[in-house]
Amino acid sequence: MVHALEEIHRVLAPTGTLLDLRPLADRWPVEIEEAGHILEIGRLTDLPLGLSDDQAANLSVKTAAKEGLYRRGNELHFPLYIYWDDPDEMIGYVAEKWADFVIIDEHIQNYIHAAWEVSGTGKRIRIKLKMLLTRWNKQV
Amino acid sequence: MPIQKDPEGIEILNLKKVADFTDRQVLEIGCGDGRLTFKYAPFAGHVTAIDPDVTALLAATTATPVNLKQVPSFIGANAIDLPFPTHRFDLALLSWSL
Repeated sequence: MVHALEEIHRVLAPTGTLLDLRPLADRWPVEIEEAGHILEIGRLTDLPLGLSDDQAANLSVKTAAKEGLYRRGNELHFPLYIYWDDPDEMIGYVAEKWADFVIIDEHIQNYIHAAWEVSGTGKRIRIKLKMLLTRWNKQV
Repeated sequence: MPIQKDPEGIEILNLKKVADFTDRQVLEIGCGDGRLTFKYAPFAGHVTAIDPDVTALLAATTATPVNLKQVPSFIGANAIDLPFPTHRFDLALLSWSL
């Protein structure tokens, strides 16, 4: 990762800017949205690889800063929502795309299905990700 | 209905808070299917968007809106060996890729 940051430093203009945008492992909540109301049903479980990836990314930008490649600018945290029409689509997506990083425990899946059954029409299910956005200013 | 990522546009709102994309030469690393690329491309000078996943890049090319003033250049590449000259870009965006 540090090598990638060195390579990005090379292609950036002397006054260039690097933006690091990524989700952070944080036991993301699963929510049902219905007519503007939000119900949190449970949370995903972070797996060791997801946590260690975050640590490795944090370490690489710290190393690049220590090497004098970049100076930290603004940093923001914000939520980002991913929606599905159906809990099984969501569970399938998580199992297929994020299997190395997070899981939905079986008892949480049961809560999700139970809550979905009793909620009304026009509902959607979503996962609320925690996002990190950091601005890094290139140091010549 | 397919999955919807960030239909509220929270991501682009926050990107605009920390950086000005206007007329900038932008390099996006990890563009995937271009979901985020198409949100800032209309006001950037030019966008070069890379990803090692060629299938995702094909999807991005296909999904490129016809009304974009400047069509992004989608290129199969990896951040550890960027096929670009020194000092080429004003802004680099690591898009869920560090």
